[in-house]
Amino acid sequence: MRSSSRSGPARLEGAVRDALRGLVEATLPNGLKVRLLSNRAAPIASVYTFFKVGSRNERPGITGISHLFEHMMFNGAKRYGPKQFDRVLESHGGRSNAYTSHDMTVYHEEVAAEALEVVFDLESDRMASLAIGDSSLESEREVVKEERRLRVDNEPTGSLDEELGALMWKAHPYHWPVIGWMGDIENISRQDCERYFHTYYAPNNAAVYVVGDLDPGRTLALVRRYYGGIPSGPPAPPVVNSEPEQRGERRAVIRHAVHAPSLMVGYHAPSARDEDALALDVLQYALTVGDGSRLARSLVFERPLVVGVSMDWTWRMDPGAIVFYLELKPDSRPPSVEKALYDELDKTCSGRLSPRELAKAKNNLKSHLLQGLATNSGKAHALGSYELLRGSWRSSLDLASRYEAISAEQVRAASERYLVPEKRSVATLLPSGAGR
Amino acid sequence: MRRTAVRRVSRRTGARALVKGVHLPEVAEFQTSGGLKVLFAERGPLPLVALQLWLPAGSAADPKRKQGLADFTASLLRRGTRKHTADQLNEVVEFCGASLSCSAEEDFLSVRINAPSEHLRPMLEILAEVVRFPSFPHKEVESTRTRLLAQLANDLDDPAVLADRAMLGALWGAHPYGHDVVGTAKHVRTFTRRDAATFHRSMFGPRVGLLVIAGKAEARDVKAVAERVFGDWEGGPDKAPAIPSLQPPVLSGRTLLVDKPEQTQSQIRIGGRGLPRGNEDFFAASLMNTALGGSFTSRLVEAIRVKRGLSYGVSSGFERLMAAGSFAVSTFTKTETTRATIDLCLLELDKMRRKGPSAEELDVAKRYLVGLFPLRFETNEAVAGALAEIRLFQLGDDWVERYRERLLQVTVEEARRVARKYLLAEPPAIVVVGNATQVKKQLSGLGPVSVMEVSQLQ
Repeated sequence: MRSSSRSGPARLEGAVRDALRGLVEATLPNGLKVRLLSNRAAPIASVYTFFKVGSRNERPGITGISHLFEHMMFNGAKRYGPKQFDRVLESHGGRSNAYTSHDMTVYHEEVAAEALEVVFDLESDRMASLAIGDSSLESEREVVKEERRLRVDNEPTGSLDEELGALMWKAHPYHWPVIGWMGDIENISRQDCERYFHTYYAPNNAAVYVVGDLDPGRTLALVRRYYGGIPSGPPAPPVVNSEPEQRGERRAVIRHAVHAPSLMVGYHAPSARDEDALALDVLQYALTVGDGSRLARSLVFERPLVVGVSMDWTWRMDPGAIVFYLELKPDSRPPSVEKALYDELDKTCSGRLSPRELAKAKNNLKSHLLQGLATNSGKAHALGSYELLRGSWRSSLDLASRYEAISAEQVRAASERYLVPEKRSVATLLPSGAGR
Repeated sequence: MRRTAVRRVSRRTGARALVKGVHLPEVAEFQTSGGLKVLFAERGPLPLVALQLWLPAGSAADPKRKQGLADFTASLLRRGTRKHTADQLNEVVEFCGASLSCSAEEDFLSVRINAPSEHLRPMLEILAEVVRFPSFPHKEVESTRTRLLAQLANDLDDPAVLADRAMLGALWGAHPYGHDVVGTAKHVRTFTRRDAATFHRSMFGPRVGLLVIAGKAEARDVKAVAERVFGDWEGGPDKAPAIPSLQPPVLSGRTLLVDKPEQTQSQIRIGGRGLPRGNEDFFAASLMNTALGGSFTSRLVEAIRVKRGLSYGVSSGFERLMAAGSFAVSTFTKTETTRATIDLCLLELDKMRRKGPSAEELDVAKRYLVGLFPLRFETNEAVAGALAEIRLFQLGDDWVERYRERLLQVTVEEARRVARKYLLAEPPAIVVVGNATQVKKQLSGLGPVSVMEVSQLQ
């Protein structure tokens, strides 16, 4: 092989630094964090607004409010009333969307660079003074119920994921799905939404990232003008993590009209800020990223038991989860697939990755890190995610060399620490008798 | 509604002001000794490169009774060559931090690699190897077929996939575009090593191929390596296979109801004939569709999602292929409101068909499409893809430079004309995937309805 794993890291880290060079950062007096990065390659820009609130900030009875609220953010504020947000943005050559996770709510716009000011006007209007109308809440509630029907109730994998979460977490809010339970979605009131807005949508709970064809100085002045007058709020109440230690394997079965079984196997994992987080990134790549990864090779190609295998290991604010998802073949038996998975996982606990496997996983991690910075949107999103989950956007700068420093022993030790049979939860999806 | 100064200012400058600074990088073009065309676009700043080889060997070229063979052959390319086993190929690619994908679409088959620039040379070698010398090992043919059949069975659990697949049949019937790229189970079961090898031998060749490379690299290197790995690639077909255009949709005026009794939500598709690639109506049709169902403020989203909360998503769009195209509306709603949602879609289609978009709607659509156009060229993959598209569909070398200008030239009259022409001039074909017992009661007066079992779509 002619690949030069030695020269790679330094070069990649340099490329990451180059891609983020010249970033201007500021915190307004009201606590809003602002990060601006110029990229003159094309006359466009991306704006990302991160709010530090997600389903982990909810409570039973109003689960799903973070996500329903995200929808309500598009339904009118003080100056730009109902339907105006998208109309104004689209008529200026822009588009917007948003997503909600367990930990955060993220709004983003892609826009012709000259319309950046319009985005600040729209975004600051709804941050300052969202207007929640009864009729738009009722209509939006129906939209969200359709979204839940689409992603969970009529999507067996979504149902399985929901089942696993409820199995893994007994006390922590990660117990419920981001979209919320159907009954709760139906019950959330306008007062709940208003209280939620005042608690979590203050500028001191938010950060704005702008990347694209812009002059940082002028853009910062605009941001100050539009957002500077929004009053800060009291700090959001902390989330209490009372999750007890798991003392034995947990299992659940759900049935759906499906042709083949599926399995989700979950293990408790550390938070994004934990030292082990990066070692688990390496483990994830060694196990499931690429056709040549361990689990893909053994379970998909060598002994074909499954159609697909993935390891979901997403950085989270609080101690999170490692979830293996296995899509079985119609004639595969879940117990033998489980055993095959555990045999492979045992190997990562008892033995180290080979030097070549380790290098391969790192090369792919670093390559994907760089590819993620190819677009304005990718850069803005990476900066915001790193800042929220790891405490600083700067953590992206040295990520390549931090990956490089991880040893095979660290990966093994992390496997052993988290992939503990007594602490796993297994949710199985089986074909139901009814239907086909 | 208070307007801000900003808004007034950009109103005055007009959409034309948005047209600036979008051009593809300079393209170096050359040909290997064997006749393979190569396009290279140097672009930075990231040390990454995208390599794509395109061949007119998509699912439209699947032999009769062998639906899915193009994609099957594509997925076997990386499962073993004269020099390397599948594991070895994966190892070489993945060790470099690169990714390799081999797949078919309707018109074309492509092999694509994204890699750090420092690995350009070995990755181009791999690309040439999987394209030229796949060995189709028996064991890999068997296991790929088994895996594909399992995937096709699992696909039947996804109502959106079922709806799209049923719509393909409803629109195109036995036409080469009438089946899913991944194929049909009863045909896939018959696939042999010989089928794949024959498809490869007869459909692959330098004279119909196009190699596109975009990213941080030196033209000199690209040229030298391309010549070294592809220079002696000869033979194969002289021209792309001919594909007939679309006759009236097979199920025009009919509704196909796919029964999935456990569903609490219906997937809905409403479609008809559209326009092929390279058609001069494209710009007017894009703008008209943006106003109809191509954006968040479009009429369909307004009527179905915003006003009534009937769905989380509704959109309309033209699918444009080499020889023909289709138009379809796509949405979903709870079982009880299936008919109401279909009626609203039909009503909006009819209104747009009769009167076209307003001047204001057309203006907003122009700003929207023009403003967002540069987003299509942010990555090496996207630039390589755009260069391939321009060449393969013969869109003209000024396609990107003139694209926005041509959008802006569209008049209200033209938008109206294309609405009349393409918005279901023939009665549409309608597909619903859901609880047939519940849904069928709602469908009276909508024309003939036929009910289909899910298994018929495998």
